[in-house]
Amino acid sequence: MDGNSLSVIKLKNILLVTVPDDPGDDTIQELQNKVLNAIEKYESKGLILDISNVNILDSFFARTISETTQMVALMGGQTVIAGMQPAVAITATELGLHLGKAISTLDVDKALDIFTDNFKTV
Amino acid sequence: MPYINSHSNSRYISAFDKWQEQKDFVKFTKDDEEALKKMHPTAMKYADDFVEKLYEHLMSHPDTKRFLSDEKTLNRLKLAQKAYFLDLTSGDYGEEYFNSRLKVGIVHQRIGLPPRIYMTTYCYYMQLIIPTIYGNPDFDAETANAIFMALYKIINLDQELAISAYIHATDEVISRQSEEIMEMSTPVIQIWDGVVAAPIIGTLDSGRTQQFMERLLEKIVETNSPVALVDITGVPQIDTATAQHLIDTINAVKLLGSQVIITGVRPVIAQTLVHLGIDLTDIITRPSMAAGLKVALDKLSIKVTDMSKTTQGS
Amino acid sequence: MGCENTGECHIGSEGDIVTCRKVIRNVATAAGFGMTDVTRIVTAVSELARNVYVHAESTGMMRWNILQQPGKVGIELIFEDQGKGIADIDQAMEAGFTTANSMGMGLSGVKRLMDEMLISSELGVGTTVRVVKWGRIK
Repeated sequence: MDGNSLSVIKLKNILLVTVPDDPGDDTIQELQNKVLNAIEKYESKGLILDISNVNILDSFFARTISETTQMVALMGGQTVIAGMQPAVAITATELGLHLGKAISTLDVDKALDIFTDNFKTV
Repeated sequence: MPYINSHSNSRYISAFDKWQEQKDFVKFTKDDEEALKKMHPTAMKYADDFVEKLYEHLMSHPDTKRFLSDEKTLNRLKLAQKAYFLDLTSGDYGEEYFNSRLKVGIVHQRIGLPPRIYMTTYCYYMQLIIPTIYGNPDFDAETANAIFMALYKIINLDQELAISAYIHATDEVISRQSEEIMEMSTPVIQIWDGVVAAPIIGTLDSGRTQQFMERLLEKIVETNSPVALVDITGVPQIDTATAQHLIDTINAVKLLGSQVIITGVRPVIAQTLVHLGIDLTDIITRPSMAAGLKVALDKLSIKVTDMSKTTQGS
Repeated sequence: MGCENTGECHIGSEGDIVTCRKVIRNVATAAGFGMTDVTRIVTAVSELARNVYVHAESTGMMRWNILQQPGKVGIELIFEDQGKGIADIDQAMEAGFTTANSMGMGLSGVKRLMDEMLISSELGVGTTVRVVKWGRIK
């Protein structure tokens, strides 16, 4: 699982990244870099991390998500975490992990709703 | 095998260690093993006779007869009994012996044979064996006493093992049942498109919370529900640990992208929460499930209309 | 007990953390652990393997054993490194303590995920962490 297996998809003014099931540290680091570069390039207002395939979220991954969320916010975007698996959510809670300012949604559809609703009000 | 043993603290193996301690405690020594070995030829001589007598005795009492239903079982038991009896004087009381004695307790528990029968049967057994020690021309008084004492010790150890295994097997049945009850007492149901509800009845301990959390989260994902009502009307009292378990559940649900509304907060629960200094201000709480459902429907922008009132009004 | 019930993984690079996770996911799933327990076990492996990788001066090792008992199954994981050791284990076990790349939830968090946890460490010699998780066979 190397970094170049990740692709950042641009959908109008938001970005969508599907994270693989068992991402290594290098993949996670690559994710942050690719996302920040894409935000700069497209001036995106939002980032959706589709983690519905992810079956492990450890403290390193959580910290990277939390930091990426902060960095994306500094560049004017909102991060949404979509589709976390129940087993992953339970483990993360027991481990005491936080995802910082990232919002969670049940799936990518509901994440898209957040952005369309927000843009309507803006 | 030795590698695995040295690293596994399984209860099974540590129980065998415990048994070694038990042997030391009752002072069951090499001398006892030797004494029992001296008894072995006598045991061989009388084994078939004893087994016949024992089963004759068991068959003459309705309380024990009911466990000896058919000829086939009876013959199988007689063979097992003979082996069991000969093991007593084999001189080898290691792990194999230990396991065979544990099995007695486990099997008795499974077939519902009460310890009362096991113990009294053993007593009858002793009445058959003892005369063959003291009436034996091969043994002088000292040897006979040594054999008797060794036999007394090993039978005591036997009984302890069988009864402990019996209790352990019963405990397992109880814990399995309580797990089933636990599951039944916290159903998670979808009550509206996008709303699940979970009434909790009874105390929330950590084992139960883990199970509950798992089922609640799975149901939320399965039904794609943005709101979950957790009703605590049936929770008799709340303490810091219970509150922490609730907060854990709420946080895990939040990670999924759904929201918990706690309903059924009775006055006494509200008082306890404030007195304990538990902060639930970030969490939506309502006194009743009905009030919670209203909040849920509002969140989903669902409007429920009372048709009778609408028609009357227009 | 065949060799599939016991084994070891070398931890010498960042990539080995993922290898440890994959191996243990297969072992724990085959042993009969439920989905949530498998996730707990694999997450603990990730934390502890990263700990070995980050702290060990040289390299480390993960060993596993499947423990079998009537009605239940266990997995024992032992992480060893020849690193600089932990000066104060009690302090290291406190939530929020951190020395390297983590959220400071590492060791204390792992304790919540597993049923048993034992750490022994000697300064300049290395650290051994032993964790066990028990599960009921369905």
